[in-house]
Amino acid sequence: MDVNTKKLKKNAFRVTKRRGYTASRIRIPGGRLDAKYLSMIQEIADTYGEGVVNITARQGFEVPGIRFEDMDKVNVLLQPIIEGLGINQPNPEGTGYLSSGTRNIAACVGNKVCPMANFDTTEFAKDIEKAVFPNDLHFKVALTGCPNDCQKVRMHDFGIMGMTLPQFHADRCISCGACEKVCRRKVVQAISMKNFRPVRDNETCLGCGECVIACPNFAWQRSEKKYFRLTIMGRTGKKNPRLGQDWIKWIDHDSIIKIIMNTYDYVEEYIDRSAPGGKEHIGYIIDRTGFKEFEKWALKDVTLPSIAEVRTPIYWSGVHYKKQFDY
Amino acid sequence: MAYSLDKIAVDELFSKWGEDYLIYGPTLIKNTGRLSDTDSVRYDEVKSIDDLELNLKSDYSFKDVILPISEVLFYYNEDGMMVPKQKHNGAIIFLRSCDLHALDRLDQMFMENGKPDFYYTRLRENLKFVLIPCSKSFENCFCVSMNSNVTKNYDLTIEEINGEYVFESKDEYFTKFFSGSKELDYTVPYVKENDIKVEHVEKINNLAITKSEMWREYDSRCIACGRCTLVCPTCTCWTMQDIHYGDNQKAGERRRVQASCMVDNFDRVAGGHVYREKNGDRMRYKALHKISDHRERYGVDMCIGCGRCDDICPEYISFSTILNKIAKESE
Amino acid sequence: MITNEYLPFSSKVLKVTKHTPMEHTYTMEFAGAKDVVPGQFFELSLPKYGEAPISVSGIGENSVDLTVRSIGVVTDELFKYEAGRHLYIRGPYGNGFIADDYKDSELLVIAGGTGVSPVKAIIDYFGNHNDEVKSMSIITGFKSKDDQLFREDFKRWGKQMNVTLTFDRGDETKENIGLVTKYIPSVKVNNFDDAKAIVVGPPIMMKFAVKGLIERGYKEENIWISHERRMSCGLGKCGHCRVNSTYICLDGPVFNYTVGKDLID
Ligand SMILES: Cc1cc2nc3c(=O)[nH]c(=O)nc-3n(C[C@H](O)[C@H](O)[C@H](O)COP(=O)(O)OP(=O)(O)OC[C@H]3O[C@@H](n4cnc5c(N)ncnc54)[C@H](O)[C@@H]3O)c2cc1C
Ligand code: SF4
Ligand code: SF4
Ligand code: FES
Repeated sequence: MDVNTKKLKKNAFRVTKRRGYTASRIRIPGGRLDAKYLSMIQEIADTYGEGVVNITARQGFEVPGIRFEDMDKVNVLLQPIIEGLGINQPNPEGTGYLSSGTRNIAACVGNKVCPMANFDTTEFAKDIEKAVFPNDLHFKVALTGCPNDCQKVRMHDFGIMGMTLPQFHADRCISCGACEKVCRRKVVQAISMKNFRPVRDNETCLGCGECVIACPNFAWQRSEKKYFRLTIMGRTGKKNPRLGQDWIKWIDHDSIIKIIMNTYDYVEEYIDRSAPGGKEHIGYIIDRTGFKEFEKWALKDVTLPSIAEVRTPIYWSGVHYKKQFDY
Repeated sequence: MAYSLDKIAVDELFSKWGEDYLIYGPTLIKNTGRLSDTDSVRYDEVKSIDDLELNLKSDYSFKDVILPISEVLFYYNEDGMMVPKQKHNGAIIFLRSCDLHALDRLDQMFMENGKPDFYYTRLRENLKFVLIPCSKSFENCFCVSMNSNVTKNYDLTIEEINGEYVFESKDEYFTKFFSGSKELDYTVPYVKENDIKVEHVEKINNLAITKSEMWREYDSRCIACGRCTLVCPTCTCWTMQDIHYGDNQKAGERRRVQASCMVDNFDRVAGGHVYREKNGDRMRYKALHKISDHRERYGVDMCIGCGRCDDICPEYISFSTILNKIAKESE
Repeated sequence: MITNEYLPFSSKVLKVTKHTPMEHTYTMEFAGAKDVVPGQFFELSLPKYGEAPISVSGIGENSVDLTVRSIGVVTDELFKYEAGRHLYIRGPYGNGFIADDYKDSELLVIAGGTGVSPVKAIIDYFGNHNDEVKSMSIITGFKSKDDQLFREDFKRWGKQMNVTLTFDRGDETKENIGLVTKYIPSVKVNNFDDAKAIVVGPPIMMKFAVKGLIERGYKEENIWISHERRMSCGLGKCGHCRVNSTYICLDGPVFNYTVGKDLID
């Protein structure tokens, strides 16, 4: 059997444990899809697979047990899903996904369902998908509605957490203290009561919106604009897993997309082409070039909102497997 | 007499009225809901018919217009006290039938319970009321049970019919603006039935109801947030606050601020004693006030059945259900 | 034009009597004193600090006494005032004890702690008008001898009526030790149709004292109590003091027990 594994991987199939068989990887940006696509996925699994579907950690589907020779037929069945989910497809119809390096843009359920979410995570995920796909570099991006971070975005190269900038309408406040209490008990105690009314410390504030939700009288209201916290270079892996660190607080939607796009240029420039599989986590590249160089590339032509706070330089530590063995 | 006007003509009226009065009405404010990407309907100044939300029930009521959420009673400094000017010298308020009934309750509290209240009375003077008739019931409403579905106490009514606005005027001030307008036959609609019905109890046995186990359910269900009372058009409680201005320790203001009997500290006295520690007891205190307690003093229930408390409760506690439970317990 | 009841008026502190470090009586200039009824209250109004309802504990020619326990923001601030300074008050509010209700009775007043202040003016009244009652007794309790209020007045009352003074703790060989309820059985009553009682103090003390009186034979309609609740206005507007359909500030604070017993918070 002669199969070009490099090519099939790029086409969103994978080499599986079972010789001669592959799995088809279906990306679902933002983790939300019309239910009708489920039956199409089922059809692929029943017809060419073993009637089984895996839900991946990144909110995609993986249909295993497909024979290598059926890949083209599977790609034909994938076409309505690719189209329906709005995945960019510069390649001819019926030939599947053009790349797989930049992983599915994952998102928590977001404000379509969750009361705590500060934005529509799926919509933003789709915007990012539109901008980055079919880029094949190894990027992981995830979005979450609020700093609860149910999506665990801090484990990603780019983690996007929804924020709102609470607006205080003093004439509506009844001094009940609900906002102070919820922030103290559940968040970071950014609110203190002075002269019977809350005072918010902007530096401490997470922008999570808990005060807005708790306020019984709409004294705290959401800002018209939506803001985000951008955490960067979280990762898992076998060398040095680490949590993404806060980089920019109160950043906006467009700046985030621009920064991600700029980072592709940066990685193209500095990636170690000899790395195993030609694949390197961005964080290791930053370790090599220094944070300032990354920042220079990433912020090129980016106009941040005036309230944005940029933390620089950033240091990460995380788990060093090698060091632990040295002890 | 009823008149029909197009939007342009109505906006002209608004600007003419605006010369004599402040105009307040329910407005839909985009993206200002508690949760992200939700709207809310609240009272605000309206300048044009576009500002006015005629189709939805407002989340909060008109009461803030005459009973500001926070109202300065006086400013003080070393020389004495100064009473601020009133917020308006007259206002046109758009509201619904139940709200007009609620106005009677506010009047009872502020003009009949003891001596008339200075601040309320001065904002209460020179008000004109424009009825937004309800042709059908909203969710959670039980106005028919509370006899607040019909009113005659309006100066003007407004209804949108096929893109035109139909007005019926009972007030000279308004009528004069309609001379020359298209006249038509018109009956003001009102709600004849709600999905929710509340049973009335003539005489409530306070002692028995107080001892009832029914309240214990709310000890844990209710989170004592106070939303139900803040949206209520007939809840009037407030608390005095003295503050001083940070830069000048001798100057400041005394204000009154809306309060809620559901919220902690409403009944706390010096030394820390609290009369209603349990949320279920607060619920009882509120519920009985809304019916029998007020009725005993003023002959009418306080609750007017607008259902706003049910609309807003984050814990899905239904006040009409509570009233029906009271009725059942009183059998 | 409707008067603005919320504006307090300035009043001169004529005298400060320090009963204990925690309890002082402020004699305040008040021109309308002759119309004040014992048991009514004023709002002590200190801009920047707030207001506190305080019972009238004495009524003079042109003055009223306010006996205050220093316990929080407003009352602590008050304690910085000495005679000669001015402060703000508004009132009087509430119904008070109406002397006519008790005329020709065998009157017993039971009071504990600061509860003595709202009844002090009515004790004074019948002390000075002994002929208007058939008999007059008081049972008063304080935590200890050090906590006793109105020491000078007790000397005078001792000559005018039957006084029982008791303390929660102290030297049993020198003074009465025990709760006020302990002394209810020993009050001399000739005819329970004429026996009337006023009870004021902490809620728990009122509850047991009233129980003791009823057991003794006092009729419910011949017992009066005075209630305290959270208050913000004293004017029937803020709603804090409401219990059932009753506003303590307007309809009370003094209630005949037949009414007062049905108030359920
Ligand atoms: C009818 C009546 C008569 C009273 N008579 C006397 C008296 O003769 N002598 C005396 O020492 N005390 C009396 N009190 C109690 C006195 O009003 C409180 O101790 C006082 O309000 C405490 O105020 P503060 O600011 O010092 O205390 P804080 O505990 O600091 O009070 C803060 C706020 O709580 C509120 N508050 C607390 N306790 C009460 C209360 N019991 N009633 C109303 N509001 C309260 C007030 O709004 C006050 O501003 C009376 C209370 C009532 C209702
Ligand atoms: S929760 Fe709202 S009303 Fe309560 S203190 Fe905070 S801002 Fe004021
Ligand atoms: S009933 Fe609902 S709205 Fe009212 S206090 Fe309780 S939880 Fe809040
Ligand atoms: S103290 Fe405000 S209503 Fe009684």
